[in-house]
Amino acid sequence: MKLPAALRLSPTLAPYVFLSPFVILFAVFGVFPLAFSLYLAFQSWEPTSGLGAMEFVGLSNYAFALQDEWFWKSLKNTAWLALASGVPQHLVAIPLAVFIHTSFKRLRNGVVGAYFMPYITSTVAIAILFSSLFSTDYGLINVGINVLSQVPVLGGLMPANPVDWLNDPDNIKPAIAMIVFWRYVGFNVVLYLAALQTIPADIYEAATMDGAGRLQQFFHITLPSLKPMIFFGVTLSVIGGLQLFEEPFILTGGRGGSDQSGMTAAIYLYRMAFDFNDFGAASAMSWLLFILVAALTWATNRAFAPRKGTA
Amino acid sequence: MRAMGSGSMRRWAGLGAGLCLLAAHAAQAQQSLTIAAFPAVDEIVKSAIPAWKRLHPNVEIKVVSRQFSDHHTAMTTALSTSFYLPDVMALEVGYVGRFAQGGGLDDLSKPPYDIQRFQSRWVPYAYQQATSRKGAVVAAPTDIGPGTLLYRADVLAKAGVSEADLTGSWEGYVATGAKIKAATGAYLMAHARDMKDIVIRTGIQPGEGLYFDSRSNVLVTSPRFVRAFELARKVRQGKLDARVSAWSSEWTEGFRRGTIATQMTGAWLAGHLNNWLAPATKGQWRAAQLPEGAFAAYGGTFFAIPRGTPAAHKPLAWAFIQLMTLDREVQLSAFKSQDAFPSLLETFDDPFFEQPIEFLGGQMARVGWRAATKRIAAVDVHKQDAFASEVIDTELDKVLDRGKDIKTALADAERLLKQRAFR
Amino acid sequence: MNSDRLAPWAAYCVVGVGALIMLAPFYFMFVFATHSRTEIFSLPPPMFFGDDFLNNLKILTERMPFWRNLGWSLYVALASTALTLLFCSMGGYAFALFDFKFKNALFGLVMGTMLLPSFMNMIPTFMIMDALGWIDQPKALYIPGAASAFGIFLMRQFVTSSIPRDLIEAARMDGCSEVGIYARIVLPLLKPALGTLGLITFIASWNNFIGPLIVMRSPDMYTLPLALRSLQSPVNTEWGALMTGSAIATLPLVVLFVLSSRQLISGLTAGAVK
Repeated sequence: MKLPAALRLSPTLAPYVFLSPFVILFAVFGVFPLAFSLYLAFQSWEPTSGLGAMEFVGLSNYAFALQDEWFWKSLKNTAWLALASGVPQHLVAIPLAVFIHTSFKRLRNGVVGAYFMPYITSTVAIAILFSSLFSTDYGLINVGINVLSQVPVLGGLMPANPVDWLNDPDNIKPAIAMIVFWRYVGFNVVLYLAALQTIPADIYEAATMDGAGRLQQFFHITLPSLKPMIFFGVTLSVIGGLQLFEEPFILTGGRGGSDQSGMTAAIYLYRMAFDFNDFGAASAMSWLLFILVAALTWATNRAFAPRKGTA
Repeated sequence: MRAMGSGSMRRWAGLGAGLCLLAAHAAQAQQSLTIAAFPAVDEIVKSAIPAWKRLHPNVEIKVVSRQFSDHHTAMTTALSTSFYLPDVMALEVGYVGRFAQGGGLDDLSKPPYDIQRFQSRWVPYAYQQATSRKGAVVAAPTDIGPGTLLYRADVLAKAGVSEADLTGSWEGYVATGAKIKAATGAYLMAHARDMKDIVIRTGIQPGEGLYFDSRSNVLVTSPRFVRAFELARKVRQGKLDARVSAWSSEWTEGFRRGTIATQMTGAWLAGHLNNWLAPATKGQWRAAQLPEGAFAAYGGTFFAIPRGTPAAHKPLAWAFIQLMTLDREVQLSAFKSQDAFPSLLETFDDPFFEQPIEFLGGQMARVGWRAATKRIAAVDVHKQDAFASEVIDTELDKVLDRGKDIKTALADAERLLKQRAFR
Repeated sequence: MNSDRLAPWAAYCVVGVGALIMLAPFYFMFVFATHSRTEIFSLPPPMFFGDDFLNNLKILTERMPFWRNLGWSLYVALASTALTLLFCSMGGYAFALFDFKFKNALFGLVMGTMLLPSFMNMIPTFMIMDALGWIDQPKALYIPGAASAFGIFLMRQFVTSSIPRDLIEAARMDGCSEVGIYARIVLPLLKPALGTLGLITFIASWNNFIGPLIVMRSPDMYTLPLALRSLQSPVNTEWGALMTGSAIATLPLVVLFVLSSRQLISGLTAGAVK
């Protein structure tokens, strides 16, 4: 069906038309909150007094944030958690995806499905389940460790006494990292599996004929081909890790745990805004966090992004 | 222009009056009141609806219930923009202080509310808790949580100690705990933090809040904090606490197995123990007053009217609040069905208080709780109280777990709090 | 030497055990759904199914309009998915295959919004919704989400890598209208990516509770996560009913995943591989 020439979209106008629904929604629902939050970062505001109670305070919120011990503590926690939960995810997801790709034919969807299930679980369920699983005396995780410590070689690495996951500040971080790992490793497996399917099988065949072993093929063929997907996945992990909120929130009941060891930057922001009723400082901190995340995303970009002209 | 004949004037007037009546009736018939609450206050409100209907048959009550912290977050959001405020909001005591500082709630001491005329009808400290530093009364108390010491009589008997040993003094409480541990292996308390929480609330001078005084000076190096920390440390060193957090599975299990001998808490815990936490331990618990004559409140619910609510709704909102907080039947029925300890003094002569509580081995515990309410003192709140409580908890953990020196810990806390005292 | 045969078997074991560990919390969610709260909170926790399921269901449906909330969740998730797919595919197509002024700046701005925690938007979003009169209406939930930064990022990646410009040029020279190109050439080629984004959007919408918390005022209009949370109180939570509700809430997602797993796996393919 052809519209009369007057009504047809010209190629120059087309992008604007196609983009317009998105841009309109974005301008209303994305830009306004952004601008509001930026404005708020320069105000002192106690929310329950209403909008009129804002007072301009210039950079004092930023100054406060930069010298606030808890802000820096939360950044350190966030960095630790982002690395501890992010790195294993990719280190495990890549070999796992390769293994599933090469060794599972009929059961593939089932296995992938099993690993993907945690991603769809709601936080309410996770909160109850993991509080039970991490319980010191009877939680299944400690039971599992107990069982493993009977195994000859592995047993030496296991802690002797039941681990107090939820109360001891040293243990909260690993507990959170475990939950995040559990939740997202399947998501990354799916990403890598998808990427693996685009590597032509003949390259591997040629390499085998040339005498390359499986491990060599992995390092010289598979990994380089996966580079773009690694970039995508790591970018998502960096952004997600630095904004980590849900898992620590539910494991520590919204407070960040003993000695604030589970308090990520996002949780601290939330507490500043809604528990300590200091919205100005919370906004300033969220912008400082934004700058940090943007910088790290840019760095990831430089490290991983495919250079123009290479495969 | 011809003037209208008197006949048609009357007809117009009649029509006009008829229309007005119709409109008024329609307005009345459509009126509804929105109450924002959280579990279990929502149940209490809903069960008061029949009583409300008798007084205002044309006004429907709509209850918007959210999870506890979601509710308070939603209320913060609504107050911040003055949009979509409920007509009445239920608030837990921890939030009343915060919201009171803000000015988003109507001052009930002003006309036409004039809440002071009812002041003598409520438990004094509850009324104080809703009074801001500037003297504004921002909410009306509906239920309170008198603090009590719940203990396992069977465990005490086995250890050969009595209730008096527990409640004489704080040092006596700890010493008795050691005896209990030695004889039965049971812990004295769930967490040493509970000890700190109650002792810092003793000996508060007038003009002082818990962590700050009325001029935002930091108080955490005062003697009550030092004593609280020392006692908590003694508890930990004697291995007298089970190191479990409230509401965790270990805590629950501790009650069921009798490995936690006492718990300082609000009176409402007895109901929970009976209903679902540890029903099998019926008859083995008793309630006593807190040691060393300490009196404290654990929880409490209030009703407030947001300033931004449409003026037309406020009279009915106020009428609703009066029903919930000043009507004897409503208060008693909430007590009997939801274990919501009434704030209304008139209910205190009801025979329900003298009823033996089976779970507590037939003890008439409500009598003791009733007596306690008169001796609880309200504590002034400060904007940074929530933050201060975290800081103190953190420093206590360092003292207990890492052996940090108490004076240093409190000094560190003071430093952190001074940075924010005036924000 | 059997090491050649041992290694794969060991690997299968590890992967298998891993899968079981992944699924274990799920299993417990369904087990807990069949127990009363007293049993859930005991140590050791129940390992097998109990008999309180019907009782929990009764509590659940009494305390909240469960099926209605489920219905709203479904409606909002479907609408959200449909709109997001439409707007993001159009937008991603535009970003990928056209050149226009401010293209990079605009894309950067969109990506920037991904970097701010969503709860910071609560109050301004509330203000907007009130100004528009959308409070307590489902459209407040699915319309804003259609401008998803992640969605447009994914679409742009996919279009760039799997639809060559020459194809579009050729179609233009053949006289196809711009809308025709989009509808008849681009969209069919985007199917796997649409499946992927659809699944992710559906899941995100289904589990979202901050949005409804801000916008919904009446319990009748709540979506599931918010409604289930309202069962929680610090002192009076019906844990059994809550687990039952959560377990039932997970089922549609499981069904959806099973249906679209094939799409998903091939869909994320060219999305990032150039």
